[in-house]
Amino acid sequence: MLKMHKVRKSFRTDTIETHALRDFNLEVKEGEFIAVTGPSGSGKTTFLNIAGLLEAHSGGQYLLDGDDVSGLNDRQRSRLRNEKIGFIFQGFNLIPDLNLFDNIDVPLRYRGFKASERRRRIDKVLQQVGLAARAKYLPSQLSGGQQQRIAIARALAGEPRFLLADEPTGNLDSLMARQVMELLELVNDWGTTIVMVTHDPDLARRAERNIQIVDGQVADLEYHANPAALSA
Amino acid sequence: MFGYYIALALRSLRTTPILSALMVAAIAVGVGAAMTTLTLNYMMSRNALAHKDDVLYAMQLDNWAPDRGWQSPNEMPWEINYKDAISLLHSDIPTYQVAMHRWGGPLSREDSELRPYSAEARVTSRDFFALFDVPFIYGGSWSSDADSNPVYQIVLSQQTNEKLFNGENSVGRTVNFNGAPFTVVGVTEYWQPSPKVHDLNNGNFKKSAEVFLPFGLHRSFEIYSWGNTNGWKGEVIDSYETHLGSEYVWIQYWVQLDSAQQLEDYRDYLTGFIRQQKAQGRFPRPLKFGLSRPSQWLQLNEVVEDDDYMLNWLSLAFLLVCLVNAVALLLAKFLRKASEAGVRRALGANRRAIFTQHLVESGCIGLAGGLVGIFLTTATLALMRQLQMGALDSVAAMDWLMMSAAIGLAILSSLLAGLYPAWRISRTNPSIYLKTQ
Repeated sequence: MLKMHKVRKSFRTDTIETHALRDFNLEVKEGEFIAVTGPSGSGKTTFLNIAGLLEAHSGGQYLLDGDDVSGLNDRQRSRLRNEKIGFIFQGFNLIPDLNLFDNIDVPLRYRGFKASERRRRIDKVLQQVGLAARAKYLPSQLSGGQQQRIAIARALAGEPRFLLADEPTGNLDSLMARQVMELLELVNDWGTTIVMVTHDPDLARRAERNIQIVDGQVADLEYHANPAALSA
Repeated sequence: MFGYYIALALRSLRTTPILSALMVAAIAVGVGAAMTTLTLNYMMSRNALAHKDDVLYAMQLDNWAPDRGWQSPNEMPWEINYKDAISLLHSDIPTYQVAMHRWGGPLSREDSELRPYSAEARVTSRDFFALFDVPFIYGGSWSSDADSNPVYQIVLSQQTNEKLFNGENSVGRTVNFNGAPFTVVGVTEYWQPSPKVHDLNNGNFKKSAEVFLPFGLHRSFEIYSWGNTNGWKGEVIDSYETHLGSEYVWIQYWVQLDSAQQLEDYRDYLTGFIRQQKAQGRFPRPLKFGLSRPSQWLQLNEVVEDDDYMLNWLSLAFLLVCLVNAVALLLAKFLRKASEAGVRRALGANRRAIFTQHLVESGCIGLAGGLVGIFLTTATLALMRQLQMGALDSVAAMDWLMMSAAIGLAILSSLLAGLYPAWRISRTNPSIYLKTQ
C-alpha cells in the first residue's frame, strides 16, 4: 500500500539546512492501522505530509500502491490525493462558511462526480457518522467531537483506501476522543488503511502497529497482536 | 466546475461584505471615470454620415489672403463666399450639391395661440435633403427654382411640426417666419446627426435646424449668416449686394460624387473654375481646393481634440490606480482565506483549480464593479447634461455598446487585478495552514 525507502526531507534557509526525515524506511500493508508517535519536532507531521502528497520528498523512494510518486506533477499528485487518500486533522479543518453537506461535497467536486452520485455518497457517510439530520448545520453549530466526525465523513466520502490522521483526538475531551477512535477502528474494519499520528500512548496502543519516529527516522516498531484486547 | 466556482465566489463575497464592497467600489470608481471619458470620446468621434462616407465631400476653396493661409490644418477656409457658391451650383457633375448656412428668426402659426418663438433655421439649396438622407414624414423638398428665386416655401422638422401642428400633416398650411408667410411643403422625420457633420462651424453637438428655407430667399430677406462670416480684404460692406458680391466666406458647400469618374471630373471642374477666377485677378494663393469625406472632415475640424484623448489616458491611469488598490484588497482577502485553500488542496484541488476559483471570484467582483460603474457613468453623464443645459445631450449618453464595454472593462480589470493574488494563493504550501488552522 505504502512503501518508503530511504526517504529524505530537508528544509533549507540561507544558512541552515534542517533534515526533517533521514533515510526513512516504512512499509504499510493494505488494511493496517498504524499509530505514529514521537516527540515534537521528530518529523511525524513531515512524514504525514509526504505520505499524503502534500509535500515532495527530497530524496529516496516513495511507492503508493506500487507507483513511484517522485516524478508526478501537481495535477497528478492532486488526483492521487483526491482518489486514494483521506485526511483527518487535529483542528478538523472544516470550511466554516459551508454547511456540513457542502463540506463533505468538497473532495467529491474535485473528483468530478455528478450531483446524484455526490448526494448518494454524502448521505451515506452522514449516516455512517450519525449526523444525517444535521446536514444543513454550519460547523460552528456542532461540538468538537461532532466536527471531527464530519471531518471523518468528508475523508470517507471519496472512499479512499488510505486514511491519514494527524492527532485526530488532540482537540477533544476523553469521551469524544474515545468515540472518534471507535469510529476510526470501525472504518479500519471496513478495510481502509489508517496511519494515525498521535501523542497519546493509550490511543497508539489500540493500533495494530506502533512506530516511533525520532530525529526523522523510524526508531522503533511495535506490533500489537491483539489491539482489541488492549482497548478493552 | 465553473458554476461551483461562481457559487463559492458569491458565498465568499457575502461572508466579507465590507472588504467586498471596498473592492467593488474601487473597480466601480475606476470604471466609472474611465467610461465617462471613453463614452464622451466615443460619442464625439462617431461619424453620423458613415453610410455615405465614400460619396460625400465637404468642399473648400483656397481664396484667402496672398500672404497667409487660413488658420485650419489644411490652411483653407471652412466656408466659401456667396458668388462662388452661386457659380458652383450651376455644375451638373455632382449627383447632389448643397450650398447652405445657419440662420434663424421668429416663427409662429397665424391661427394659433402659440406665441412666436426664435427658431433655428437652415437656408439651403434643395439637394440638402437628398444629399444628407434626411427622411420626410410628410411632403418633400421645395421646387428647384427656389434655389435661385424667392419662393416662400418651408420645411419643418418633426419637433417643430409637433409644436405648431401637434404632429398633424401640415403640408399646405401656412406659418409665419421672420414676419412673412411660408407654405409648408414638407416635414422631416427626427434627424439629429451627432456630431453635426454637415455644420461643424456652429457647435459640433448642437441641435439641428428647426426649419429649412430655400437658398433663393437671400435678397428678399437680406439674409446674413447666423454662423461665421470671415474676410481678409477689409472690404467695406455698404449694401446687401456688396455683401453678396464680396470675398467674405460664410457658405458651407457639400457635394455628392457617386463614382471615381465623377470625382475626377469634379476635380477638373474646380481646377478650371479656380484658373478662370485667377485670370480675373481673384484667388491670389497657389491653386488649391479641398474635397473631404465626412470622416476626414471630422478629423480636419478636430471634433475630438488632443485634450480629449489626453483625458482618456488620464482616466485609464486613474483606473490603473484603482486596480492597484483592488490588487491589495484582493490579496488581503485571499490570504485571509489561505487556510481554506490549504484544506481544498489537501482534499484534491490542484493549483490550477485554486487559481481558477479565485480568479472567478475576482471576475464576479469585476462584474459587480462594472454594474456600479455603469450607474456612476450614467449619473456623471446626466450631471454633465444638466450642467451643459442641453449642449451635450447627444454625446453625454451611454449606448448599449458602451454599457457592454463598461462590463467588459470591469471584468478584464478585475481579472488582471486578481491574477497575482490568485497565483499567490494557488502557490502556497497547504501543509502550513493545515497544521496551524
